[in-house]
Amino acid sequence: MRGARLGAFAAGLSVLLAACGTSNAGTAPSTGSPIIFGAAVSLTGSQSKEGGLTKQGYDLWLDWINARGGILTNNVKHPVQIIYEDDQSNANLSATLVEKLITVEKAQFILGPYGSSATASDAIVVEKDGIPMVEANGAAQSIFSHGYKYTFGVLSPANKYLTGVLDMAATLSPKPTTIAMLSANDNFSLEVAKAVTDYAPSQGMQVVFNKSYPAAAPDVSGLISQAKAANPDIVMNSGHLAEAIAINKAAKQLGLTAKIFAYSVGPSTPDFISALGPDANYVYDGSQWTPQVKYKPSFYLSVSDYVKAYEAKYNSTEPPDYHVAESTAGCLAFEKAIENAGSLDPVKVRDALAALDVMTFFGEIKFDSRGINTFKPMVVEQIQNGTHYTVFPADVANGKPQYPTPSWSSR
Amino acid sequence: MSQFAQQVVLGLLLGGVYIAVALGFSLVWGILNIVNLAHGALVIVGSYITWDLFARLHIDPFLSLPIDALALFVIGYALQRGVINRVIRAPLLFTFLLTFGINLVIVSLLLLIFTADFRSVTPSYSGSGLHLGSVIIPYIRLGGLAVALVLASVLWAILNRTRTGAAILAVGADRDAAQLVGVDLRHIYALTFAIGAAFAGVAGGIISTFQSITPTAGDPYTLQAFAVVILGGLGRVSATIAGGLAFGLIEVLGQSAPGLGAGYANAIAFVVLVAVLVVRPRGLLGRLA
Repeated sequence: MRGARLGAFAAGLSVLLAACGTSNAGTAPSTGSPIIFGAAVSLTGSQSKEGGLTKQGYDLWLDWINARGGILTNNVKHPVQIIYEDDQSNANLSATLVEKLITVEKAQFILGPYGSSATASDAIVVEKDGIPMVEANGAAQSIFSHGYKYTFGVLSPANKYLTGVLDMAATLSPKPTTIAMLSANDNFSLEVAKAVTDYAPSQGMQVVFNKSYPAAAPDVSGLISQAKAANPDIVMNSGHLAEAIAINKAAKQLGLTAKIFAYSVGPSTPDFISALGPDANYVYDGSQWTPQVKYKPSFYLSVSDYVKAYEAKYNSTEPPDYHVAESTAGCLAFEKAIENAGSLDPVKVRDALAALDVMTFFGEIKFDSRGINTFKPMVVEQIQNGTHYTVFPADVANGKPQYPTPSWSSR
Repeated sequence: MSQFAQQVVLGLLLGGVYIAVALGFSLVWGILNIVNLAHGALVIVGSYITWDLFARLHIDPFLSLPIDALALFVIGYALQRGVINRVIRAPLLFTFLLTFGINLVIVSLLLLIFTADFRSVTPSYSGSGLHLGSVIIPYIRLGGLAVALVLASVLWAILNRTRTGAAILAVGADRDAAQLVGVDLRHIYALTFAIGAAFAGVAGGIISTFQSITPTAGDPYTLQAFAVVILGGLGRVSATIAGGLAFGLIEVLGQSAPGLGAGYANAIAFVVLVAVLVVRPRGLLGRLA
C-alpha cells in the first residue's frame, strides 16, 4: 500500500519535474503531456492517392509509438497526437492550413505535406513561426536553397533520382552510351533531368536528346518520334506517372527501342503495372526505398517487420509503396531528435534534427547543412514479369538487371 | 524528311482527337451560347465508362463508344433540362460559374467512385501500327481520327438533313423567332446539349486508349476545345475539323522545332491562336457573325 502511494507520488513528481524541464532519472518512466504533430496532406483532389499513402506512413508510426506509451524524454513518455488537415491537392492552401495547425491547433511540430510545391510553401510558414518541420515527400532541392533552418527532408534529393540508373548502366555489358531525356517542365523534374545531363559524362555517357514538355501533357507521340530519330541506348523520363505510362505506350506504338527504359516516377506504383500489363516489364526506376532493401536499423522496426506491420494495419496484400516508407521515416527522425534533445522545445529539437545521424529501415537519416538527407542512396528497381525487383546497388539488391531490353516485337 | 513526315502524321492524328473533343463544345457554344467549362469532365466520364467496360467485361474500347454516347446523351439531356436551362438567358458570367461548378461536381464524383488511381485501356493491338516506309501510323490513333471524322459527318447530317437539325440551327440563329414558329425551345436546348455531351463521351472513349485517365484529366481538354473552336471558327462542322487538324499539327510541329521543347508547344499554339484572332477574327472557316 505504502509502496503504491510512493510510486504514485514519484510519478506525480516526475511529471512535475518534466514539466519544469529538468531531468529526472532512475524510476520507471511516467506519462507526460501529449505531443501534438500537425500535418496538412492531400486527402482529396488530384493527389489524394499520394496524400493517402503519406498519411498511412504517419499513422503506422503513430500506432507503434503510442503502443509504447509515446516518445521518451527525460524519463517521461509523451503520447503522440497527429492532427490532419486536407489541402485538397492545392499547394497554396497547404501553407494556410499549416499556419492554422500551428496557431489554432497548437501543433508543436509539423510533418510535411505531399509534393515539392506544397512543401516549399509550408517551409516559409514554419520558418516564420520557428516550428520544426520534417518533410518526407518533397524532393526538389529548391525547397532548401533559401537557407531555412526549420525544414528537414528525409528523402534523397531530386538530383539522385536517375543517376543511380547511370551507375548501374555503367556496370552492364554492352555498355550503353547515349541517353534520350524527356522531362516534364516542373522544378522537380527539371532538377532530375539536369542532374542526369551533368552526371552522364562521368560515366562515359552522353545525353543526345533532351526535351521538356508541359507536366501532364496528354500526348507525347511527337516527342517520342523525335527521340527515336536520335537512336538512344537509354530512354529516360523525369516526370510523373501519367506521362510515364503515355511514354511507354507511345514508344511501343512508334517502335522506339532502347537497351534501357528508366522513368523517375511511376513504375514503382502498382498502377503502372496494372495500366500497362506485360509492356511494363523491363522498365527501370529510381526509388527512395523498396521492401527488399537490406538496411540494419538501430531502432523501430526491421524492413521485413515494417512490411508485415503495414500489411496487417491496412489489410493489404501489396507491400508498402516508398511514399509510405519515407513518411514513416519522417516521423522516426522526429522521434529520435526529440529523444536526443530531451525536450519539447522547438529550438532544441531543431538543433537535435540538425545533428541527427541514425540508421532506420528506410536507410540512413542525416541532414546536410541545408537540411537535405544526402546520405541515403536511391535504389534502382526493375519490373520483371510483373513484379518489382531491386537490382542496384548490388549490396541491397534481390535481383539482377534483365539487360538489354528486348525489342517490342520479340517480347 | 521521313522524320518530318512522321511528325505531320502524328500531328494529324492528334488533330483527330481535338476534332472529337471540340465538336460537341462548338455545337453547345454556337447554338446555346454557353461556353461549357464542364466539357472536359464529360469527356472523362466517357473515358471511365470505356475503361470500366474494358476492365470488367473486356469490351473493346472502340465497341464501347456507342455506349459512351448513349450514356452521356442521357446525362447531358438531364443536366441541361434540370440545371443549365435555368441560366440560359442569363449573362455569360452566370453560365461560366454554373458550368465551372458542374465541372467540380463531376470531377469530385469521379474521385469518389473511381479514386485518383491512374486507369488505362490497353487492348492487345494498342502497340501495333501501319508501317508506310519509315512512317508508323499507330492503329489506335488512326481509329481515333476515323471516329472523329465519322462524328463530324454525323453532326453535319443531323444539322443539315433532319428537321431536328433545322430546328437546332434555327434556335442558334434566333431563339425567339424559332419559338414563334413552333419550335419547343426547352427540348431543343436539352437535345443540343445532349448531342454535345454524347460527342464528348465518344471523345473520352478514344482518349482512354492512348492516355492514362484520372478524374482531373479532362481539364486540359476544355482549354484545347476552346482553342480549336477559336482557331477554326464557330458555327460550322468543317471549321471544327480544320481547327482541330491545324491545332494538332501546330502542337506537334511546334515542339520539334530546333531548340524548342514541347514546353513551347502550347505557347506556339496560342501565339498562332492570337495571330488568327488578329488577322481573321472569325477563325479559319468561321461564319461572319
